[in-house]
Amino acid sequence: MINWAQVLFNSCVTGSLYLISAVALTLIYGLSRFPNFAHAEFMALGAYVGYFVAEQLGLGFPATFITAFLASGALGVISYKTVFQPLAKHGASIIHLMIASIALGFIIRHAIGEIWGWEPLSFKVAWTSFDVGMVRVSGIWLWLILAALVLAGVLHLMLVKTKIGKAIRGTSSNPELALASGININQVTATTWFISAALAGIAGLFRAAGTRLAPLLGWDILLPTFAVTILGGIGSFYGAIVAAFIIGLVENVGVVILVSLGLSTEYRMAIAFVILILTLLIRPQGLTRMFRGT
Amino acid sequence: MDPLIYILDIIVFIGIFAIVALSLNLEYGFTGLGNFGKVAFFLIGAYTYALLIETGLHFVLCLIIAAILAGLIGSLISLPALRLREDYLAIVTLAFGEIIRIVVKAEHWIAHGVWGITVPPAIFWEGVSFRMTIASHIGLVFFCLLICFILVQLVTNSPYGRVIRAIREDEVAAATLGKSCFKYKAQVFAIGSALAGLGGALFAQYIGYIEPYMFMPMLTFTVWIMVLVGGPANNWGTLLGAALVQLFIRGAKMVKDYILVPVDPINLQYILLGLLIIFILLYRPGGLLKESQVKTTAVERASQWKKHS
Amino acid sequence: MEETLLKITDITKHFGGLCAVDGVSIDVGMESIVGLVGPNGSGKTTLFNVIFGLHKADHGSVYFNNERIDHLAPHQVFTRGMVNAFQIPRLFHQLTTLDNMLLATREHKGDSLLNSLFLRKGWQHQEGELAGKALEILELLELAHLALCPAGELSGGQRKLLEIGRALMADPVLFLLDEPAAGINPILGRKIFEKIEHFRQRGMSFFVIEHRLEILMEFANWIYVMDKGKIVVEGEPAEVVNNPVFYDVYMGEK
Repeated sequence: MINWAQVLFNSCVTGSLYLISAVALTLIYGLSRFPNFAHAEFMALGAYVGYFVAEQLGLGFPATFITAFLASGALGVISYKTVFQPLAKHGASIIHLMIASIALGFIIRHAIGEIWGWEPLSFKVAWTSFDVGMVRVSGIWLWLILAALVLAGVLHLMLVKTKIGKAIRGTSSNPELALASGININQVTATTWFISAALAGIAGLFRAAGTRLAPLLGWDILLPTFAVTILGGIGSFYGAIVAAFIIGLVENVGVVILVSLGLSTEYRMAIAFVILILTLLIRPQGLTRMFRGT
Repeated sequence: MDPLIYILDIIVFIGIFAIVALSLNLEYGFTGLGNFGKVAFFLIGAYTYALLIETGLHFVLCLIIAAILAGLIGSLISLPALRLREDYLAIVTLAFGEIIRIVVKAEHWIAHGVWGITVPPAIFWEGVSFRMTIASHIGLVFFCLLICFILVQLVTNSPYGRVIRAIREDEVAAATLGKSCFKYKAQVFAIGSALAGLGGALFAQYIGYIEPYMFMPMLTFTVWIMVLVGGPANNWGTLLGAALVQLFIRGAKMVKDYILVPVDPINLQYILLGLLIIFILLYRPGGLLKESQVKTTAVERASQWKKHS
Repeated sequence: MEETLLKITDITKHFGGLCAVDGVSIDVGMESIVGLVGPNGSGKTTLFNVIFGLHKADHGSVYFNNERIDHLAPHQVFTRGMVNAFQIPRLFHQLTTLDNMLLATREHKGDSLLNSLFLRKGWQHQEGELAGKALEILELLELAHLALCPAGELSGGQRKLLEIGRALMADPVLFLLDEPAAGINPILGRKIFEKIEHFRQRGMSFFVIEHRLEILMEFANWIYVMDKGKIVVEGEPAEVVNNPVFYDVYMGEK
């Protein structure tokens, strides 16, 4: 008998992780208009900095999360200032920007590999698992779902209520108009890179806390993150949230179906990729239209 | 280990990857197609060869069929994919590469999944030294490279080559001048995929054993670096790029074996590679060698005109 | 008797909420120069894009040589004998001037993949001939000395001329020109129109969007005035200029 309650819970967990990661990606993809493959390494860095603070410094989780958030965010801004902004000024094409992000990924990933080694690491914290009815729940997953909801809420408020949030929305939907309205595009972009990378760091940290740490950690979730971003509509904050849970659900239900059909669970990853390809071929704008500022 | 073996080994890899890089240069350098799924066709070529050679078919046939199959699958993929804008094409091809790899990994009946499959070398002489064996591989690979090089040079140094460059520059303008852009892009993609498949087949029979972890997106990125470093739209540049990048990557392994460095050379190597790419993109996006021009009798005619006027 | 070469009937095109072209009907006869004038944003370029198949009309039909073409893709429209010169030249900047010209060739044997590999002698000869033809046109436009220069290195005026020269290379039956004299000094602009008249006498037809009314007055056989997506006035140049509606439309813009 299939434990659908468990499947539903697992979907929420997967969806929450994808939410944080994809909201981060969609914000920057919508603004800078290129797929940032270094997103994977922003996630990895968050995880490793978190490991450093929690395991090597022995500080508690609040410090871990804050440091991971800030470190990844800083890396995002540095990446923008040293690589992407100069390239954009030189008139680089989307492909050039993409390749630069891949190159940046090499640098960060191998720096991480050099500092922490390539062997997988684990957080020593033992998360308590307990049963809620038919569902097996682990503390870390509850924190993840909570974090996803809180971050989504905070971002929503920021985008709708704050000046910088409105500036981000405006610049995303109409850069020329934003410039003409006196918005400081560079500042908006740098801020968005910070937020995007910082959120990626948190996603990476949760992923590592729930599983293991390895320098290629980011790449495990990168393509599914792209699938969510594209399904939700590039640049669409709300679209990413909805798409994250859709893909989370499809993946987990998919695993059940795969097992019942006798197929390998290796295909779990392929599910998100197939959704990604189908979305791009059938409806490239995704579920919602490009996020439009009011 | 015998240093000469290292060098011969590097030469074989240069040859194999030069073929794959030429294919990407044709697609991206000349036609502007951002194909990030190169490894998929490399994989298809490799596995096709591996499976066919077991049936006892002659290796030349296996190489040819591997290339053709890769080309056919490339054609199929191009039908939906080439209508996409450049970043979507990149993501779709990347995803396609991963899907193919997952299928091969999951479906053990195809080629033993993660346990991999052994591949006998194409040319094998009994009782010959290891050096001679590698030399024979060099002969085979470079013979194939020669054919591929001539092929891409003929295609790109012709009115056809002019058309694909035009498509790269401005598709709309090319269409208003009567060029069916989709047809050209599809043809280029098919040829490019076939060449990558050939590279994969040669790789499989050289390395002797293939398994899914050898076909990660990293391979695609390595080939991209070769094209960028050498100079897009210049086939000689691509050869140069392939040589330099392979030397750089495999050189690090040599360093690891021979010299003691405080930092892991492999990590250092990738960090330097990343920095190099960003540097090239910023300051020399055209790569080492300039884009090559179409030289036909038209150019001669124009030069004569100049002299007479 | 003048036959209608291009017959546009009731073309309508919307973009989002905006009606760019609203029920436009135009006839272009053989061996004639027809002008299309109107303020910026009146829909002239959009109309051209629809004719050439770059946009699909929401309503209406386009007939060229008695064949319906409004469902055709741009490269198919080209094969019917219509050629297009964009307002802002769309040249292939990394390719030479000569390359740009040669790309406009109607049926080049070398364009096929198999021929590029195997039957090279066949098109090498053709290339030489085509180069000759291209150089003649370039000579006419005073660009021949730049034949082997990358198109990206040409000046603004030279690019405009190359855009036109390239289209001429294709031996069009009907030439759609979007503001050929824009951004060029008036003397050169007039020269262009003299060449246009020269080619008209050789059997070509022209449909020209132009802002410089003085030039159109002198060379056009018929003028259409477009405003806010609609045709508001049409007729021979002298008639149109004296029409009060025309005056309103243009003075309104100033």
